[in-house]
Amino acid sequence: MSTATIEARLTPAELVRHHQAAVWRYLRYLGCDAAQADDVTQETFLAVLEKPFEQRSEAATAAYLRTVARNRFLALLRREKNGPTAADVAIAEEVWSQAAGAGEDEYLDSLDDCLMELTGRARRAIELRYRDDRSRREIAAELEMTEDGVKTLLRRTRDALRRCVERRVGA
Amino acid sequence: MTNPRRDYEDRLIETALREKFGGARPPDLSERVLAALAGNDVKPAAAAKERRFTLRAVALIAVSACLLLAVALGSWELSPEQVVHEERAVGDVAINWAGSHQALPPNYRTSLEVELAALTRHAAAVDAERRRRSESPQLLVTPRIAHIAEAEAQSAYQVPVEENAAARYDAHVSERYAETDLPQVQAVVSQAALADQAKFDALGKAYKSERPQFNAERAEMLRHKILNLRQDRGQGPGEGGDQYARIVENPFLRTLESPLSTFSIDVDTASYAKVRMYLLQQGMLPPPDAVRIEELVNYFDYDYDGPEDEHPFAAHLEAAECPWNPTHRLVRIALKGREIEKERPGSNLVFLLDVSGSMDQPNKLPLVKAGMKMLVRQLSENDRVAIVVYAGAAGLVLSSTPGSEQATILEAIDRLHAGGSTNGGEGIRLAYQTALDHFLEGGVNRVILCTDGDFNVGVTSTGELTRLAEEQAKAGVFLSVLGFGMGNHNDAMLEELSGKANGNYAFIDTESEARKVLVEQMAGTLVTIAKDVKIQVEFNPAEVAAYRLLGYENRILAAEDFNDDKKDAGEIGAGHTVTALYEIVPAKASGGREPPDDAALPASPAVDDLKYQSERKLTKNADSGELLTLKLRYKKPDADTSTLMTRPLADAGGRFSAASRDFQFAAAVAAFGMILRGSQHHGTATLDVVEEIAASAKEPDRFGYRAEFLELVKAARRLRGG
Repeated sequence: MSTATIEARLTPAELVRHHQAAVWRYLRYLGCDAAQADDVTQETFLAVLEKPFEQRSEAATAAYLRTVARNRFLALLRREKNGPTAADVAIAEEVWSQAAGAGEDEYLDSLDDCLMELTGRARRAIELRYRDDRSRREIAAELEMTEDGVKTLLRRTRDALRRCVERRVGA
Repeated sequence: MTNPRRDYEDRLIETALREKFGGARPPDLSERVLAALAGNDVKPAAAAKERRFTLRAVALIAVSACLLLAVALGSWELSPEQVVHEERAVGDVAINWAGSHQALPPNYRTSLEVELAALTRHAAAVDAERRRRSESPQLLVTPRIAHIAEAEAQSAYQVPVEENAAARYDAHVSERYAETDLPQVQAVVSQAALADQAKFDALGKAYKSERPQFNAERAEMLRHKILNLRQDRGQGPGEGGDQYARIVENPFLRTLESPLSTFSIDVDTASYAKVRMYLLQQGMLPPPDAVRIEELVNYFDYDYDGPEDEHPFAAHLEAAECPWNPTHRLVRIALKGREIEKERPGSNLVFLLDVSGSMDQPNKLPLVKAGMKMLVRQLSENDRVAIVVYAGAAGLVLSSTPGSEQATILEAIDRLHAGGSTNGGEGIRLAYQTALDHFLEGGVNRVILCTDGDFNVGVTSTGELTRLAEEQAKAGVFLSVLGFGMGNHNDAMLEELSGKANGNYAFIDTESEARKVLVEQMAGTLVTIAKDVKIQVEFNPAEVAAYRLLGYENRILAAEDFNDDKKDAGEIGAGHTVTALYEIVPAKASGGREPPDDAALPASPAVDDLKYQSERKLTKNADSGELLTLKLRYKKPDADTSTLMTRPLADAGGRFSAASRDFQFAAAVAAFGMILRGSQHHGTATLDVVEEIAASAKEPDRFGYRAEFLELVKAARRLRGG
């Protein structure tokens, strides 16, 4: 939950400002590239604001926006044979709402704390990958590991971070 | 096999890392979105009305959107007749969409053809629009059309477009995409395309009403595809997702080869509540393995007579024509536990609550708390309550407190909040220890586990926990399992845990379900009147060619287990009813009908004759005309040896319509379960038949459960696109 308590009923402008980053982030998570995420974010708000709807709570609104965004995303990908299915995307929503249901800010803050706990090669690998945007091969060279080793290290580290964040968000 | 859940979990953390480290922060799209909104004069959403789709309105908007576009372009000539025709066609689609097929006019196909032609022209119009826009790029936003697409996306689970139309449409859209590179143009095209898609889908639905055969097949195929997809979610421990053990349906068995059918009773009702949650709250069909037919049937109150002899429960048998296969008979075994006449014995209850982070959802911990409060208000000074929570660490938040100290208990419940991960193993030990420390001789000693799913930290193999629960049940502390919420619910484990621990397993999705389980059925839920109740039926081969037990798949016992008092089985609570149904293939003509010949038997093929043994000979009892003999074994709650009851059944050959209402209702519920499970044995049963039977056998319906069942049937029909 964002720290400030928001008056439940927002004007369209407030609604857009308040939720647009989260919708965009969600679409990126679902697999949109940045440009697609821009477009689908816009479509989502246009569709949602087209008709009046009851703003029961911030969380309910966020969940509703995610549902619309998800349907838009599916419609966008319907032509692709190997794209995610409705069932996949339903799972994606489950994962999202469980992990980040309390609010993305809290999730990201917890991730900050968890990153502090990372040390050594795991930390270095994460920095190289996500801060410096280095390829797996470059990381392998730098850390004197095999590419598969880097892949495993990154995946395990992300796993550990995920568990750490879950603990913190839950606590 | 990949696990989509883990992939998404990984992707979530990856997205966050990209944002934290890589600066992949969301852009500020507010101005862009607001500009687009302003350009389209969207009314503020302040008049908060419940958001509901009015189909006709959508259809009309669709028409006006198409017409506006056409007029704007000036490239679409419509005669007034065509406009009328057009409008009617879309209106028809809307009617059809709403589910009333009868409203279609006889010349429908013609208007359908007009629609198709219009769509093709519409596509040409979009192309022209695209060309125009690409000359002066400017964002055209059509939220009204977008809204139709939204409707279409929401109906993604329903039968999609008729095949050829879909293929044509796809080819045509990808072609258009191929030659488009400006993102703004893409936005235009994609929205117009989405509107197209919505119309195509509506047309697909129209086709469906016209060609029921084609669509029934296609719908069935799609349904299976979707169900298979859903089944892939959460299949084993640690996999996440709701987890259900696979159910392999009981087959028909030949009486000559397998004269005995043995199983343990089951008074669980969790499956029904889960099915209801899928159908009414999630708006999807349940995965087949979430449907346990016996739990559906046993969810309802039946008006069976209680015992008048020394036994703790009464057993009744009834036979009638099988409603989904008129040459077969349906036999019902009905048990009714004795009601407690006097005061309820004192209860020593220990709530074991999962307060892990995942419980922090409106349908979980708050519902647990509401349910606990309802139960606590029923307690008196003879009762004791303790609360143990488990999350990161297990702890006793309320030591055993007399039921008369309501304020203390309610306050402790109010203080509960969710947070941390789960260590079920430690919690369950502490709970049992607390129950043993305050053991009530001659009373009810019970641990009530409330959880949303898995025990996911610590010493937690299912086997180990089940053994612990089993040991404690022998020591006199029983276990009730109350499941909450969806998402990571380990149905299979919870059912096994409660089954082994002389317990019951209920799934609580609403406050009224909490009231049903914890207040109305409190005596039954808490007070066990017989345990290890086993049923064995011996069929008479002179009367019964083959039989099939409906449900109870995971309760089947070996024939020799029946007399083995060391083998445990289900318990029955005060006032509980238990119902089991057998579908029977008669060996003789009955009710003026010929018996099916051997080749037509639905059972598996006969095995060869044995080389060293000859077949059993019929006894003189085989001529008695009895269909079967029911044998029951049970133990008193504190006894170690079992008591035997037997009841024979002769079939009077009654028709289904002459059967008791409870019989008819139970048959309808079982048929509903078979349909949801996609059973091959459902015969002529359809949701319409289920509804008809259930509606006629609805009364008495003291708490409205049967009326609710009818709602479930209707929801299932909607979801299957029927």
